[in-house]
Amino acid sequence: MNLQRIVVIGAGTMGSGIAQWFTQQMCFVELVDNSPEQLQNALNSIHASWDKLVEKEKLSSCQVNQMKKLLEVKSLEQVSSNTDLVIEAIIENLEIKKELFHKLDKHFAPHTILSSNTSSFPITLMSEAVSNERKARFVGLHFFNPATLMKLVEVIKGEKTDEKLCNDLYAWFESKDKKPALCKDSAGFIVNRVARNFYGEPLRIVENEDENKVKEVDQILKVVGGFKMGPFELMDLIGIDVNYSVTCSVWEAYKREPRFAPHKLQKQMVDEKRFGRKSKRGFYKYD
Amino acid sequence: MTNVSFDNILINFGFGTKEEKKEILRENPNKTVLMELSCYDPAEFYTEFPQLHGSFAALFCDEEKKIEIHFKQMNQAALNKFIELGFKPFETTIISCGFIFPRTIVQIINEAYFALEEEVASKEDINRAMKFGVNYPKGPFEWSQGKEKFVLTLLNELYQKTQDKRYLAASLLKTAAVS
Repeated sequence: MNLQRIVVIGAGTMGSGIAQWFTQQMCFVELVDNSPEQLQNALNSIHASWDKLVEKEKLSSCQVNQMKKLLEVKSLEQVSSNTDLVIEAIIENLEIKKELFHKLDKHFAPHTILSSNTSSFPITLMSEAVSNERKARFVGLHFFNPATLMKLVEVIKGEKTDEKLCNDLYAWFESKDKKPALCKDSAGFIVNRVARNFYGEPLRIVENEDENKVKEVDQILKVVGGFKMGPFELMDLIGIDVNYSVTCSVWEAYKREPRFAPHKLQKQMVDEKRFGRKSKRGFYKYD
Repeated sequence: MTNVSFDNILINFGFGTKEEKKEILRENPNKTVLMELSCYDPAEFYTEFPQLHGSFAALFCDEEKKIEIHFKQMNQAALNKFIELGFKPFETTIISCGFIFPRTIVQIINEAYFALEEEVASKEDINRAMKFGVNYPKGPFEWSQGKEKFVLTLLNELYQKTQDKRYLAASLLKTAAVS
């Protein structure tokens, strides 16, 4: 497999990170968004990040000049149809994503791989929006934030996805120093499923918002467990609302299986608009 | 190293059944005891055995020898002994069945086994995903390697204590625990 021409749709945090990473692999990348302002901001921020890497002597100015030429921002209509891989990283709304994939299917050449960076929707369900021929080349590629640093890419095989395509993508990412993981199309894939109890169990250990207990659990899991962040400080960073919403979505997807049940404290904090760092109140106070 | 005895203090390091643990305490009514209780609820033991002055969790203790320790009654001599033996004890005031670290990790391991059972991904890819997607220091199956029996014991204990179905173990974990 040789991926040379990449299109990334959605210039938010994930989309621009993915575009930056592919450009750093010396691929030709077209970053697409409905909003010209969002596109310009993403481009400025990627350029600034590369300039910093030159200052830190992690990249040469020659490499960065070349990368700047390889990354273009465009509207969908301006994008070349002769692309190897398209990665969708837009808002998590199934109907909007399906509508987009229907358009993409018509726009791109038959060999183009269509993929989604979704963390919550089944790949097979999204692939309903494309032709039967394209379904074999429709795959989930779930990156982790920040995409330029986090090595994992979950390669998700939908019901009709060609198995060889998944294996080839796995090998390609591995050749580029990513750490791919091949997984079946099931709710939460690997990480968002297995990680649920990193939050759920500590919530049940403290049971209420005792600040000392919260600190102690974070401390033990960092110092004894070796985790970089404790569950409560991580929930505050991710956003208690975002974490609660992912928990509920996985819980519903698994037909309210008790292992995934949200804790009452999560709902209570969301109702009280205590979302963590962004609202300056969460399990900790940020004044 | 199952038992370390000194100055009328007994530190029990073994991973036995609940009954085996209680038997050790019955046999040592006049000693000050500190006991490995990763798979059980220290509160239950404290109530039944006043000579138990503290408990600790060493189930997932690796070469760094960091352990979670709880003192019902602080015992500096025992704490010094842990340090002398090369352990790095971190004191907790929370009394919880399975302590903090083992209780959280067994739930992560159990979910990884459920995912494996449903063929979501291979063991290697699940380990890899957790290490490189969310920076876990180890993959779930690396933590559970050789300790499946104790992981299952703690899950069963949590289920018995709470009757919450969230602690029911995956079939593949049960199989791994007996093999």
